[in-house]
Amino acid sequence: MSGQSNSSYDAVVIGGGHNGLVTAAYLARAGKKVLVLERRHVLGGAAVTEEVFPGFQFSVCSYVVSLLRPEIIRELDLPRHGLEILPLDGTFTPMPNGDYLWRVNDHYKTRREIARHSRLDAEAYDEYGKAMVEMGRFVKPILSMTPADPTSRDWKGFLDLLRLGKRFRDLSPGDRYNQVQLMSMSAIDFLDQWFETDVLKATMSASGIIGTFLGVRSPGTAYVLLHHYMGEIDGAFRSWGFARGGTGAISNAIADAAREAGVEIRTKSPIAKILTKNGKATGVALASGEEISARVVCSSVDPRLTFLKMMDSKELPGDFVEDIERYKFRGSSGKVNLALDGLPEFKSLPGTGAHLRGAISISPSVDYMERAYDDAKYGHFSRRPYIDMVIPSLTDPSVAPPGKHVMSCFVQYAPYNLKGNWDEQREAFGDTVVDTISEHAPNLKSLIRHRQVLTPLDLERDFGLSEGNIFQGELTLEQLFFLRPAPGWAQYATPVRNLYMCGSATHPGGGIMGAPGRNAARKLLADWKKGKVRA
Amino acid sequence: MNGTPDVLIIGGGHNGLVAAGYLAKSGLKPLVLERRNVVGGAAVTEEIHPGFRCSTLAHSAGPLLPRIAADLDLAEHGLKTLRPEVRVLALSPEGKHLPLYDDPSRTSTALGRHSEKDARKYGEFHESLGRIGKMAAPLLSMTPPDLDRTEAGEVWQLLKLGKDFRGLPRRDAYRLLRWGPMAVADLVAEWFETDLLRSVIAARGVYGMFGGPWSAGTGANLLIQAALEPHSAGPAAFVAGGMGALTSALADAAREFGAEIRTGVEVSRIDIRDGRAVGVVLASGERIPARAVASNADPRRTLLNLVEPTELDPDFSNRMRNYRSSGAVGKVNLALSKLPKFRGLDGNAPQLLAGRIHVGPEIDYLERAFDAAKYGEFSPNPWCDVTIPTLLDTSLAPSGAHVMSITAQYAPERLREGDWKSRRNAFGDAVVETLAAYAPDLESAIVARQVLTPQDLEETYGLTGGHIFHGEQALDQIFTMRPLLGWARYRTPIAGLYLCGAGTHPGGRVTGGPGANAAREIAADLRRKT
Repeated sequence: MSGQSNSSYDAVVIGGGHNGLVTAAYLARAGKKVLVLERRHVLGGAAVTEEVFPGFQFSVCSYVVSLLRPEIIRELDLPRHGLEILPLDGTFTPMPNGDYLWRVNDHYKTRREIARHSRLDAEAYDEYGKAMVEMGRFVKPILSMTPADPTSRDWKGFLDLLRLGKRFRDLSPGDRYNQVQLMSMSAIDFLDQWFETDVLKATMSASGIIGTFLGVRSPGTAYVLLHHYMGEIDGAFRSWGFARGGTGAISNAIADAAREAGVEIRTKSPIAKILTKNGKATGVALASGEEISARVVCSSVDPRLTFLKMMDSKELPGDFVEDIERYKFRGSSGKVNLALDGLPEFKSLPGTGAHLRGAISISPSVDYMERAYDDAKYGHFSRRPYIDMVIPSLTDPSVAPPGKHVMSCFVQYAPYNLKGNWDEQREAFGDTVVDTISEHAPNLKSLIRHRQVLTPLDLERDFGLSEGNIFQGELTLEQLFFLRPAPGWAQYATPVRNLYMCGSATHPGGGIMGAPGRNAARKLLADWKKGKVRA
Repeated sequence: MNGTPDVLIIGGGHNGLVAAGYLAKSGLKPLVLERRNVVGGAAVTEEIHPGFRCSTLAHSAGPLLPRIAADLDLAEHGLKTLRPEVRVLALSPEGKHLPLYDDPSRTSTALGRHSEKDARKYGEFHESLGRIGKMAAPLLSMTPPDLDRTEAGEVWQLLKLGKDFRGLPRRDAYRLLRWGPMAVADLVAEWFETDLLRSVIAARGVYGMFGGPWSAGTGANLLIQAALEPHSAGPAAFVAGGMGALTSALADAAREFGAEIRTGVEVSRIDIRDGRAVGVVLASGERIPARAVASNADPRRTLLNLVEPTELDPDFSNRMRNYRSSGAVGKVNLALSKLPKFRGLDGNAPQLLAGRIHVGPEIDYLERAFDAAKYGEFSPNPWCDVTIPTLLDTSLAPSGAHVMSITAQYAPERLREGDWKSRRNAFGDAVVETLAAYAPDLESAIVARQVLTPQDLEETYGLTGGHIFHGEQALDQIFTMRPLLGWARYRTPIAGLYLCGAGTHPGGRVTGGPGANAAREIAADLRRKT
């Protein structure tokens, strides 16, 4: 069908990723008539499960449940809609010298393991854990906050800032010291203050660089170390786990909750253009030519797509366009998904024990991590990359044929801006990843039945992530909080009346958190009440 | 000096001398104790070869905070500042060059040859940086506020600052907030396309740092300098007679106000009774009592070496040990028989070369130079900040001859292979060879060569870790966090012991800021007590 359809909605949400679905669900629960439009045939965006090879179900992009906000799980009652999180216990790091480091959720086990490498570090690990939990307490509320704008002329913005300042002031001097360091230091500088074991620092620091174009020695990477502890405050293993049925199951549960609340969802409906009329968004036009009118348009796709592809920049203030044009994506990671005939056997810890059920991290030393970054700085994929692997089929047999396994490898660094062409180097990249793992698990190559290699270019083409950035834009200090995605436009509203942002390119950023979607819905509904949403 | 001094100042560097000047001016009796036989610390002029005198370490002034020269009447004491019309000349290996003039419009014109766009943008950048700098300038002469007990006067200062901040055009306000945490490489890429321009401005963000242009937070250093001197091309304030002339003017001024200065006396420890500093003990065993002690030495040296560990809370000492002060700078000083010929420079070479000379043609060049340091190697092709002071001040060398002062990055404190004693010359060669690619006849002109490694900076000039700023100027070690959060007000956990060096706000470079701010706090405390 084409031309003006008579259907009209309170809100249409662009993109059926987890954030778009969360926003839709919350809007519908507030009584709005909502339509979600997804370009692909499947929902979930980067949080998706697909049968890439017959019988093998892959969490194609995002592969672990990291920080899905507990309030969202609660409010949308996701378990009832089929969300089941299976534990992902621990991180196993094989070392070239034949040793390994194996951290698990059981604090005391981990302590004993670390003591094998350094008694001092075992002691420090307790202190570190305590400090991190405190820091997490401070940061968590900020995740579900609409960022205050320090330059705002109005009193509310000023008070928001004062409140933030007061919360910081109320911290103990020791916690302030840690907080400041976490916000500004490099992961390694920060960890150096606590630990001496190289492999421990390397593996812990890895979480600081995931999805960014930064190295473990780059200032600003310490902050992400916190995320691992924020989950733990919610109790349980919720922070690190698999969804039964793969990451797509999370999106499906949210979609189910949304439908129950009355949301209408359409897949295979790519958007051609956001419709505006004298400075107001009035709806969207699909690639099919169909036009759908709505009071409000919420975009969960990144700002480059929203403002530079789906709109005519003439409809936007010049300064704003400039800010969006320089908003940094710079994808730095790739994904290699393997269908296996059996389980890899690691030289440093043979057998198919519990160490294979957690994450397996190729991060043997700090210099290894930093050199991987150096390659990327100059436009090459890492000759020896950092790899984070999981084998979900061990925990959730439903995702692979009996006796077979799926192995998901997150790989860094793979710079979007490659010297050369990704389409020509894709397989070379895949080989590098397999070779790197094989150095630790020699039998891997003989097990590989199918291999899917996703370069940053593929992430951009197939999943609509500009420059293949998995967080819809770099999580660097100058792109966080009131600066995400653009100074002055970090409160989910945009220069175009009735057009809102609700994706990972808004505060508090990427990862399967759902927080941007929830915050955006709250802000939009508040504006609606204030009568700011006018046709 | 009759009677016991009010304040002992450990170290006669420029900040120690500034502090002495202000304290004496306020009617107190300071006594400066300098380990070496010459005052000045890192701002000295020394003879590197008979007849050749050179600013051996710092070769250009920060510049000094404007009011310091006036407050201490340095002009009367012979301070003569030389300002070249070309602040910095950026060179490319192909013999292209880009002069950044004192007058931005001339720079724009020069840029026209490289890029129309940059020629246009430069003016806007210069003005924006200027507005931001002017707004932030008062921060430099301010004592970082205490989060828990903010004094009325300071609240007022902060409100005023907040008002000025809101007074900025919103565009600039956002820039101020964005630029600080940014990687300086990103910052310049947002403005310019010419590699030479990008690298010469980015270099300002990494000068003295253990970080490269891609390190986040290097934008903050650009802002600090903008506050110091709102100019996009960076400092080019030279002193007639070399940097030593600046510090001897400071010393004369301090003496005239009534300060006493003793050289060749090394302080071995700070004398502490019941948690209060009551004086110092010299290496000679001599004991000097005083009402207060101010240390111009860096924070680690002061609080970890000169103070008995038992006097400090272990938590504090631990944080002090974690204060990062691992340097990345080496220095090469050359006595030259003639002015070397730089590729691509024609007749007007002397005018173009009279400011700073920047050798580091691309961002990637600077970053690769830093990569080496990360793995414990000095850069095979270092970034060089070069001056030929004899072009403006012939008094420094025999007629026709010249001296060349080269600040070379990166030279990490700890080398992975060998030590600095054995690698000193290899480093010197790397620097000279790097420059020879731009001035082929350089080597033939060299009469004598002095190479200063990070180890020399530590042993000879007392800079812990060889860090020229007394500690890394990273986001977590500036303003209220310099040297440590909660201890940024020039005081220390030991009553009567103060810090007045570059390890305190506003940090490194020859600005006198730390000394002046510390003097104000010390005088206030001593007045309270009497």
